[in-house]
Amino acid sequence: MGLKEILEHHIVDKIWSWVVLGPLRLPVSKHLLMMGIASLILLIVFPLIIRSRSAALAPFRALIEIIVLFLRDEVVEPNLGHKGRAYMGYFSTLFFFILVLNLLGLVPYGATATGNLAVTAGLALTTFALVNFAGIKEQGFFGYFSHIVPKGVPVWLYPLLFPIELIGLLTKTFALCIRLFANMIAGHIVILAFISFIFIFGSLSAVVGFGVAPISVGLVLFTLLLELFVAFLQAYVFVFLTAIFTGAAMHPH
Amino acid sequence: MEALIRPEFGLMFWTILCFALLVLLLSKTAWRPLMHAVEERERALKHDRHAAETARAEAEKIKSELDAQLSGLKSEIQRRMDEARLSTDKERELHIEEARRSAGIIVEAAKREIEAQKIEEARELRTKVAELSVMAAERILMHQLDHRTNTDLASKYLAELEKDKPELKLEN
Repeated sequence: MGLKEILEHHIVDKIWSWVVLGPLRLPVSKHLLMMGIASLILLIVFPLIIRSRSAALAPFRALIEIIVLFLRDEVVEPNLGHKGRAYMGYFSTLFFFILVLNLLGLVPYGATATGNLAVTAGLALTTFALVNFAGIKEQGFFGYFSHIVPKGVPVWLYPLLFPIELIGLLTKTFALCIRLFANMIAGHIVILAFISFIFIFGSLSAVVGFGVAPISVGLVLFTLLLELFVAFLQAYVFVFLTAIFTGAAMHPH
Repeated sequence: MEALIRPEFGLMFWTILCFALLVLLLSKTAWRPLMHAVEERERALKHDRHAAETARAEAEKIKSELDAQLSGLKSEIQRRMDEARLSTDKERELHIEEARRSAGIIVEAAKREIEAQKIEEARELRTKVAELSVMAAERILMHQLDHRTNTDLASKYLAELEKDKPELKLEN
């Protein structure tokens, strides 16, 4: 079995069956299962923690509260202004959804749904929808599109800049999608490569393979911790960039 | 490997659906109570802080008022004490003056008494002296007048008396 098969086995989604809903042909896959688990955690555990008054759950409640307050005070309000409070539900859900999906990818037998281009593209599309929705809601349809081109640009540049800015909207979304996807699978690929080293060197000689194994395992552990960090970091980055784009759409100046 | 970068549109649909539902449900079940609790607490904190500041300002005001009252009282006490000292001085002076006057009266009365006694004694002395001198003179006279002279004298006086009052003449 080559590295390609191993990678595909561990990273690519496994589709078990298909559901046909009218014109839609929807897959039932492992990443969908992961999203389902994440949704269940978010829908059952979070309200339970937040609403309970028990002292045992207080640290978890405080943890969620600290993160949500951080999102409110450091991410949403500086970018969206005072009206950002109405979008807090969106940003909080986005952060915790991505975070839980990232962390589920580190659990044994789990899979990283955010390491699937379709999932990150879906999330990026919701961001795209939110950016345009917030911009149009704040400035009106024509106001939004007339402010897409930055202020102070000579009029004769408008025909050139307007399409560029429109494409820019799409590329921002595309970059969001690729950034999360690449960050989430990169760690997995590195870990798989380190583990493969053991067998590559093992095929030369069993002694060399055993010699390389501790080094490989150490590096794998290090990469795993890095992935843990990246899981939080990328959830934050995705939310932060979404907030910046939404804020820019709401307040063009 | 192309499966890695070939997005499965069905999964994209699932993702969007799943995420949109999560946003709707979690906004109601999780974030609203959380934000509500947080804002409630922030409001309570702000209120408490405001109340504490007000109380502090109030306390400072009261303190300055008390200080002013205290300094007023101090000056009042000083004034009263000065006044009291002044009045006791005056009173003492008055007492002394009065005592001096009454002592003078007593001395005067004593002097008069002494004077009266002196006069009385002088008078007594004079009568005693007079008596003594009369008695002494009597003795001297008794001693000096012998019988002959006495008879002569007596006859002489008798003669004179008979001459003056003839009705009293013994030998007619």
